[in-house]
Amino acid sequence: MTARMSVPLARRQLLFRKGRTLAGIAGISAALLLVLALNAIFAGINDRLTAYIDGSGADVIVAQRGVDTMHMTQSALPEQTATAVVAVPGVAGAKPILYVPAMIERGEKRGIVYLIGDDSGGAPLPLSAGRRPDAGEIVLERSLAERLGATPGSSVRVFGQSFRVSGEVEGLASILNSVAFVRRQELARVLGIGGVVSYVLVRARPEVRAAELAARIETSVPGVTASTREAFARSERRVVGDMTTDIVRAMILVGFVIGVAVAGLVAYSATLSQLRDYAVLRALGLRARRAHALATAQVGATVVAGFLLALAFVWVLAAILPSLSPTLVLAIRTGDVAQALSVAAAVTLAAAAFPVLRVARIDPASVFRR
Amino acid sequence: MTVPVARRQLFAEPAKLIVTLVAVAAAVALVLLLAGLRRGMGEQVTLYVDHQAPVLVGQQGARNFLSQTSVLPDALIRDIERVPGVAEATPINQEYAMLRLHERPVLALLIGYDPGKPGGPWKLASGRAPSGSAELVLDRVLASEHSLEIGSTLEYRGARLRIVGLSSGTSGFMTPLAFASRTTVSALSRRPGTANFIFVRSDRGVTPAALATRIDRAVPGISALTRREVAANDRRQFVDPFSGPLFAMVALAFAVAVLVIGLAVYSSTAERSREYATLKALGLGGRALYRLVGIQAAGLALTGTGLGFLLALAAARGVSVFAPKYLIAISAGSVAAVAASALAMAVVAALLPSHFLARLDPASAFRR
Repeated sequence: MTARMSVPLARRQLLFRKGRTLAGIAGISAALLLVLALNAIFAGINDRLTAYIDGSGADVIVAQRGVDTMHMTQSALPEQTATAVVAVPGVAGAKPILYVPAMIERGEKRGIVYLIGDDSGGAPLPLSAGRRPDAGEIVLERSLAERLGATPGSSVRVFGQSFRVSGEVEGLASILNSVAFVRRQELARVLGIGGVVSYVLVRARPEVRAAELAARIETSVPGVTASTREAFARSERRVVGDMTTDIVRAMILVGFVIGVAVAGLVAYSATLSQLRDYAVLRALGLRARRAHALATAQVGATVVAGFLLALAFVWVLAAILPSLSPTLVLAIRTGDVAQALSVAAAVTLAAAAFPVLRVARIDPASVFRR
Repeated sequence: MTVPVARRQLFAEPAKLIVTLVAVAAAVALVLLLAGLRRGMGEQVTLYVDHQAPVLVGQQGARNFLSQTSVLPDALIRDIERVPGVAEATPINQEYAMLRLHERPVLALLIGYDPGKPGGPWKLASGRAPSGSAELVLDRVLASEHSLEIGSTLEYRGARLRIVGLSSGTSGFMTPLAFASRTTVSALSRRPGTANFIFVRSDRGVTPAALATRIDRAVPGISALTRREVAANDRRQFVDPFSGPLFAMVALAFAVAVLVIGLAVYSSTAERSREYATLKALGLGGRALYRLVGIQAAGLALTGTGLGFLLALAAARGVSVFAPKYLIAISAGSVAAVAASALAMAVVAALLPSHFLARLDPASAFRR
């Protein structure tokens, strides 16, 4: 009968100097956090970017020809477009809106918003306080209202005109901008642009698919581009996505370099302090390949722990940040987590080279020299 | 005879030294690049305004040039020109243009100006300024990114615009510039007979602030601001929202740098506990031991910071060549702040092994 006994070498070596291992895990998690947090911030901005479209109740968005975004976009349609759209078979309702960037002021405090001229006052988006705006009134996004100190009943100034705050909506603001609603005719009057609307929000009859209706509208109404809500939102997300791709890539590279350096440093320091142990193991018959695997396993364990810590941290941040700063929303996406995981795997492979090269140079006979 | 113990300990493992310095340099470079990107964004967003006349007139309530709706009837130009101290009033139309290039939305800032008057591209790399309708001058960097050249056409808001010139010094990560005639831009917006802003040049001897106040008082329904005020407001609007996340990234990079230096110094101290115990047994005082550790930490911090600075400069240079739409403006202020941080890193990192040294028993040097 043979008794087999195994010794958890990698674990014991890692736990030999707990402080160093913990510091390594913290360093790697900080490096991966750079990648995860940046992605989560941009994903959060993206989600809020389409929050208005997502909740607008529109199945199809009609814009000036060639236009399929709202953010930082200009679209101008003749007011009659809404009437022409309503006449298209399959349309249940068409609502024209004006959509312009504006500065809202209250005393010395200011905030940039997309001001939406909508005769329904933003319906069907739910109000979190107050009521829809009448003439001379405005509905603000809650985070901006809080920042300006503009509670329902108070006044703000837009384009030099005073508006009374009638209500609040919630969840539409990002760190870049906010949203506010006034009556469309009033906004047109203030801007002196009668007869023009920015977009027409279209509801489809239940039996008509949105894509089919969009195609019908484009065929029937000249000079317009009709997009389904999903396609429109996708296009909006692409704007921010394309703008930030290079920055995200740069951050991934920096996170990778720092991760490799930290993990490599920890693994290399650990290997140096355990050279004698490795020499003993080699003298006892441990093959070079197994010794390398042992060193790599330690790096892998440290990186995995660092990755999990970073993930936990970003998850906690995503949970608590909105209550501290309502416009700073972090969205954790599976794709971004997978990307960070692949960075972590690359870090492991690159960082493992440091201890592996050192272990490869160990002479098993050195253990008998002193 | 003196023995350079700190130096010898640092150089005992060159590979470890290099890895430590790379990690610190990467963290420092990250801090400098992020701060530089933020500053660069601020400079880019005011690129157009910085090249225009010193006073800007917009619709009442206007505080910004970017992301600000302002509609002024053309008739207002004459009212402004009548104000004493006004040398020239130049109307322009301006809008964000979400161009569709290679099936992707690409943002530009489209300026409509009256050909032959100020407000157009200040430097043409090739081609000519727009003279007729549906003609466009596009930023050279934006054009090259999308393989557009003089003679190319692009569709925007249902119109076909033909590129007749390429401008240089007009690129920006969020707002590369494009120029067309005012009639072209106002037709696209269906707002003929209107301008978005009016830039005003003052007579000699009249300060921009005084002229802005005069115009504000003399002409109803407008806001007159100095170019400097407008630029500051635009910078604040674009750059401030990124300050929080950017600060978090910088704090994270700083923490990584401290951790790396601390880790390197701590592990080297722990590995050499026998050497330190011997030094203690030979009579080296606690303060001298801490100094030894402090010198190592400071050496790593300062060298890593120096390397990080060089790395950031090289990266900024690389970005200006390979991705010219981004501007990374590394300021003397941020370099000074990073240098001060390096010293803070050294102090914090040296604290980690000091506890270990304080507990080290000199007798342990003789135990085996």
